[in-house]
Amino acid sequence: MMSSGQMSSGQMIAGETLEQEVWALLEDALTVYRDSPRAVAWLRGHQARFGEPVRVAVAGAPRSGKSTVVSALIGEEFVPTGATTWYQDGPQPKAHVGQYEVPVARRDGKAFVDAPDAERVVVEWPSRSLRDLTLIDTPAGTPVEHVYGEADAVLYLTRHMHTTDLQFLQTAHDHPVARVAPVNTVLVLARADEIGGGRIDALSSAKQIARRYRREATVTPLCQNAIAVAGLLAVAARTVRQDEFAALAALASLARTELEDHLLSADRFVGEDFPVRLDPAVRRGLVDRFGIFGVRLTTTLIRQGFDTQVKLTGQLVQRSGLGELRDSIGIYFTERREVLKARAALLGLDVVLRAEPRPGSAGLATALERILASAHDFRELRLLAALQGGRTRLPGELDAEASRLVGGLGTDPLVRLGMDYEPTESELRHAVLDTLARWRDHAMDPALDHGQRRAASVVVRSCEGMLTQLVG
Amino acid sequence: MSAPWLDVLDDTIRACAAHNRPDLAERLRDKRARQLDPKLRVLVIGEPKQGKSQLVNAMVNAPVCAVGDDVTTTVPTFVQHAETPSAALVRGASIANTPTERIPVPIDQLASQVSANQGGHGGELVRAEVGIPRALLDSGLVLIDTPGVGDLRPAHTASTFAALLQADAVLMVSDATAELTKSELELLKQVMTSCPNVVVVLTKIDIAAQWRRVLERNRAHLARAGVTAKLIPVSAALRLRAAKTGDKALNAESGFPELLACVQQDIVAASDVLARRTVAVAAASAIKQLVAPVREELSARATEGPGNTIATLNEAQRRIDELRRRSARWQTVLADEMADLVSDIEYDLRDRTRKILREVDKTFETADPALGWDKFEAWLEDNLTEAATTNFAWLLDRSEWVAEKVAKSFPVARDDLLPESIFPDDVLDRVAPMDKPVIEKFSLVQKAFTGLKGSYGGVLMFGLATSLAGMPLINAISLGAGALFGGKTIMDESDMRLRRRQAAAKAAASRHVDDFFIKFSKDCRDAARHIQRSLRNHFSTLAEELQETLLESARSARRAVQDDNSERERRNRDAKRELDHLVGLYQRVQALAGGQTPPLGISA
Repeated sequence: MMSSGQMSSGQMIAGETLEQEVWALLEDALTVYRDSPRAVAWLRGHQARFGEPVRVAVAGAPRSGKSTVVSALIGEEFVPTGATTWYQDGPQPKAHVGQYEVPVARRDGKAFVDAPDAERVVVEWPSRSLRDLTLIDTPAGTPVEHVYGEADAVLYLTRHMHTTDLQFLQTAHDHPVARVAPVNTVLVLARADEIGGGRIDALSSAKQIARRYRREATVTPLCQNAIAVAGLLAVAARTVRQDEFAALAALASLARTELEDHLLSADRFVGEDFPVRLDPAVRRGLVDRFGIFGVRLTTTLIRQGFDTQVKLTGQLVQRSGLGELRDSIGIYFTERREVLKARAALLGLDVVLRAEPRPGSAGLATALERILASAHDFRELRLLAALQGGRTRLPGELDAEASRLVGGLGTDPLVRLGMDYEPTESELRHAVLDTLARWRDHAMDPALDHGQRRAASVVVRSCEGMLTQLVG
Repeated sequence: MSAPWLDVLDDTIRACAAHNRPDLAERLRDKRARQLDPKLRVLVIGEPKQGKSQLVNAMVNAPVCAVGDDVTTTVPTFVQHAETPSAALVRGASIANTPTERIPVPIDQLASQVSANQGGHGGELVRAEVGIPRALLDSGLVLIDTPGVGDLRPAHTASTFAALLQADAVLMVSDATAELTKSELELLKQVMTSCPNVVVVLTKIDIAAQWRRVLERNRAHLARAGVTAKLIPVSAALRLRAAKTGDKALNAESGFPELLACVQQDIVAASDVLARRTVAVAAASAIKQLVAPVREELSARATEGPGNTIATLNEAQRRIDELRRRSARWQTVLADEMADLVSDIEYDLRDRTRKILREVDKTFETADPALGWDKFEAWLEDNLTEAATTNFAWLLDRSEWVAEKVAKSFPVARDDLLPESIFPDDVLDRVAPMDKPVIEKFSLVQKAFTGLKGSYGGVLMFGLATSLAGMPLINAISLGAGALFGGKTIMDESDMRLRRRQAAAKAAASRHVDDFFIKFSKDCRDAARHIQRSLRNHFSTLAEELQETLLESARSARRAVQDDNSERERRNRDAKRELDHLVGLYQRVQALAGGQTPPLGISA
């Protein structure tokens, strides 16, 4: 993949991918800075990072559900370490603080890394979800620069959008490189189950609120998507145990009216004279793991016929919003791995160029700016941000189509073209050619203003990209 | 059982009447009425989505405030006692000086009407009022539900802080699913500075299994922040359900009985302490005035000799003249200072708005108003609001300073010389909301038409030229030229349009700022005039009282001169008895205030 890495940026050929261009630029920088051990170490670090899976940081205010969301994504319940914790794929469970291995213990059925004063813990865990993703659980209060410096993309968690949340996201967008290559952030309403006092339909109204945030003028330019996730429920869905399911089934065997009074509050649920024979400790365990809302929902679901563990898990994954969260991570983060990595590397290079200016660095800075300005992937991102933020508006249907074609819903050609069936190769080809021709017209349409025509030409370039993908 | 302060006050009023001082009696009666009918405002405050409205609903056991899953409360809602349930929306005045408009609505539609306001078109809605018959509210308690603090729309937050100024006590709401955050603690501290009577309510304990731990942590947070406030865990869901089913045990579990008891004890009872203090101050000042002439009379008799009584009489006359001379002075001071104040305030406001306008001009030298107009609008609104608030705060500060200055030039020094409050209650309602300027949109059709117009000239020009060379009018060259001309015209036109848009935006902004300036400066002037009027009334009442006291001493001095000896004896005894009575009364007043009033400085 990095075979063209030796090429110098001076002899770049047309059609070179962004990845190759950035790699070459890093190589050039290494040559310029070969006598500075600090810069070399920094740049080598960024080169190494280039080949890694996408790093996604999970950030947010205290108690916004960060560790819970991380646990739900990995499929294993972790006790928060209180430090910045990296979760990577690995053959067996292992944890490191610096170079030292620390034991991974079990505490109340949760994975527990015993590293009390560590600043940074790296956990390796065998999980399919971590194959193309590294998750970083950042403790609340981590400075914005650290979060966005370490990670390629960010899941920002909040319970309810507060002005402090807005400030955090606005600061993240203030960096010059970040501005030309809009940061990929997904906003997550992470404790959706608590909305409306834990009513049984809390999740659907949480989804509506997320939809409102997607349209809110102050929020839209700062994140690519907003989704509601019931964190506790999502973790429970992925880790529900046989005995827990049995206990829930026993609860569900009672009539709704009989159980109702005992589900009024968490205190009542673990209280005396319970109608079923369930040990208070078991009930305490259930309410801790599922939340009172989770118990209400699961018993209702079991009564509605999702009465096996597999059926229930499927329902919970879907209802908790975990499925949607995974899709968003796929569309916005892992599919865009290349551009996210390139962006992170350029940000890293920018730091070196500014910290240690020297004769050769002016040329590097120009090359960096050129890549930022001309690389199509960045132009796609910028257009997408402009369309979402309302800075660029296209007439009628074109607006939605343009944002789809530049990868607003995902970068797969089928998604870009909005095809909901599996087309034959010639059908696909026709569709691309047809779209391309239409957008070429738009790009030269005198009825559109300059900005709109420029937007259209970015779309044209995206269509051409799809075409070469088909041919190649 | 009547409160002890009431007895003392009534006795003092009677003493005033007995001593021929109906003016003092009137003033005390006024105070008595105000203390007997106290509107005790309890503000429910907190960050968004903590369960403030639901808390109010659960306290009065009725769905009076709108609750919802997303941001719901947009204006403060006042819940107070009424014989029959009623509700009303209060809209702000569209023209300054006209009172706010009160529109009654059916009580069951209030919630939906208030949240319907969310769209922003009915932006002038100031507050909602609900009256329901409840024993809790019977004592004059008013619960005020407020929009969440820290919401993305700053307009909601502003009205919360406006309501905070009138609050007697505050219920700070935070839910049990998370500990108090840094921003919540900051809010709490801010609240404490303007109203120290705060209870922190931990809501939603039904859905939080770990609420006891959160409660402990919160207690620690409060201790660390140096905030001494009670923490009460409650569950509105349980309370409302208990009300529906009549389940006493569930009601107890909801924590509301404890909360209501706390409101009764700490807030309603604390109001009694507050009342005692104000009553004590007023009564003490009245008694002092009663004592003065009696003492005058006694000392006049003690000296016995007619020469001395005549000297006393002369002295009294001299002091009355002195008072008349000096009251002219304080009136001039007040008038001068207020005139200065008004012009300074106006100058300050003009300066602030001019700065904003300059910024606007600078922005639209380069920026295209068609893009980012919303952001600009929000910016402008924010800046104007800020200018208005600073300006207004300054007005208040200055007028307090004026009050002090007038008090200094007042002939005598007294404890209650400074008025308690000179500001009208509704002064904050008076700042009228602002209209948004519109910016014209231009159509694509127009553009195409402009292009055509340009190209027509090109085709004709070159067509004619080439027709000399024997080519038809419409040929390749003329068409090419037409396209070129068309393109250029569109470019020119869109450049021109940009400039026109910028000019329009500047004009709209400056019109808006002008409107704002005119409206707001009028409001400020009105407020200043109001303040001046209340200051003048306050000081003239004081002056009249003083004069009356002096005249009374003069009269008794004159009587002393005229009275014959035996009569003198009898009156002497009477005066002594009266003085004893007054001193006794004064001691009771002192006991009431807990030794906070200064000693009378006389011995009977």
